[in-house]
Amino acid sequence: MERLFGLETEYGLQVDGDAEADMVAESLAVVRAWNPDDSDPSWDYASEDPRLDLRGFRVDRPHADAEIQQETRHLRPEQVEANQHGDRILCNGARLYNDHTHPEYSTPECARLFDLVASDRAGERIMLECARRRTQARSSGRLRLFKNNTDFKGHSYGCHENHLIGRQIGFDQVVAGLVPFLVTRQIYTGAGKVGLEGESGPPGACYQLTQRADFFRTLVGIDTMDRRALVNTRDEPHADPRRYRRLHIITGDANMSQFATALKVGTLALVLELLQAGAMPDIRLLDPVTAFRAVSRDPGREWPVPLEGGGHSCALDVQQCLLHAVSAYSAGRDAETDWILHHWQAVLEELGRDPQQLVGRVDWVTKEWLLQRFIAAEGLDWNDPQHLGWLQSQDLQYHSIDPAEGLYRGLEAQGVAWCLVAEDRCRRAVAAPPGDTRAYFRGRCLERFGAAVRRLTWDRIELELDAGLVSIDLSNCLATSTVAAYNRAVDQADSAENLISVLHNLEPPAAGDRTGLAPPQEHDT
Amino acid sequence: MKPTSSSQERDRIPRPPAPRDAEQTGREEGPRRPRLERPDTDDILQRMRRVDPDQARRYRQRTGQ
Repeated sequence: MERLFGLETEYGLQVDGDAEADMVAESLAVVRAWNPDDSDPSWDYASEDPRLDLRGFRVDRPHADAEIQQETRHLRPEQVEANQHGDRILCNGARLYNDHTHPEYSTPECARLFDLVASDRAGERIMLECARRRTQARSSGRLRLFKNNTDFKGHSYGCHENHLIGRQIGFDQVVAGLVPFLVTRQIYTGAGKVGLEGESGPPGACYQLTQRADFFRTLVGIDTMDRRALVNTRDEPHADPRRYRRLHIITGDANMSQFATALKVGTLALVLELLQAGAMPDIRLLDPVTAFRAVSRDPGREWPVPLEGGGHSCALDVQQCLLHAVSAYSAGRDAETDWILHHWQAVLEELGRDPQQLVGRVDWVTKEWLLQRFIAAEGLDWNDPQHLGWLQSQDLQYHSIDPAEGLYRGLEAQGVAWCLVAEDRCRRAVAAPPGDTRAYFRGRCLERFGAAVRRLTWDRIELELDAGLVSIDLSNCLATSTVAAYNRAVDQADSAENLISVLHNLEPPAAGDRTGLAPPQEHDT
Repeated sequence: MKPTSSSQERDRIPRPPAPRDAEQTGREEGPRRPRLERPDTDDILQRMRRVDPDQARRYRQRTGQ
């Protein structure tokens, strides 16, 4: 199966110079700033059901209902309507919207790692421009956006990874195989955080590996705001549900480092391929939820993880073991696979030898390196509460997406931080979708025939033609040959009607595929 | 700061028997290490000094996903 992945990032926001700013209104306004015209096509929410669970049932519990209600509880009546029309579906295949009072950028579906890095970076550019426009539109104050995951006061927001996998693998196998990887990968994916949130931690733990580890309470579950689980079970494949699952990974940090973003998504893609091949090493952690938090907070950087049955290992050894198994299965497959394996190995070796060699690649190392220099230069003390507040301000500034002030962006400008994709490529990704996934079809359809697009979602586009409504089903537009045919069709068609005609005349999809035209779905709205 | 390797009593998960040859991998597609062996930190420290020490205290968000 081809790789297909994406990232969805909720941004934190602050208005400098206006202590009374309504952050709900600001989040809505930031999204609308990209295109103030509300005549954009609507996002098709009717096809989404946040209660469907990958374990094979539909959740019907009070706290799940409360979470769903929480999506709109902060909104005033006039904001509810604005929120419903607030989605911006972009010609680069991405989606920009207000999610739980945070502006969120969902990248287009990508099949190549560096396309995803470019798309993620394009999201930063788009968000930065939205912030600039919003600041201009305000009478006072400056709106700033942060690509991080916490406000240091117990409120977290996510950067979720999405990977398409086959439906044939049992969900219990997914959980068993994935958990040791997710618990331990933070040693190179963590973005670093000054301070602890939630219950108290070990003495001396003022700086931890991740922004998110403080916020997970259970192993498996559907909730994303309250009782967050290491493995999220929301069953929204955005593809043919008989054939695919979408793994919705919510444990990761938002990375400023392009390298960390690539390694985070790339290693998981390879682990999932190993998992689907039934070749995962049998590693069983005694208490994964506690270990997730303990590894993040361990001031000694030994990162121990107790194993089922009484033994102990450590995060580094678990990762080495997984790397070994993945290498045996995947090495030599293609250049991208080998890039991931090479850098996965290099990073683990540096973590065991001299983590400071990872400045500019691994976010938690880079941030800690900056903080240590600042502490030395200013004579600060980790144990002084006032100084800790100043260091948290530096932590926040690390995640500013403004190149003029962001600390990580400053390191990029100095050449200290590794850049994987050229800025030109990121700039192109603001306007153009990746060419080898269905995101291209969706983006080009909007660009060329947007006036006819009535509503859409990741795997369906509804067109309003003279002859009536026609729905294009993209739920199986995933195989390379099918994607190529669809993408050619949207380039060659000279009208929306012609596009439908061309799609009718395509070669029949592969056995089992049902890609094609379908009657429009019934909608409540 | 040194992770794990000193704990003799630990039940180790086996490591790879030998490191793979880095030169055999797809290095040409990857990034290049920046040329700065000892980066000048003066500029970034100046940037850090301009940060409002209270900005994290004022930074309040609602819970997201």
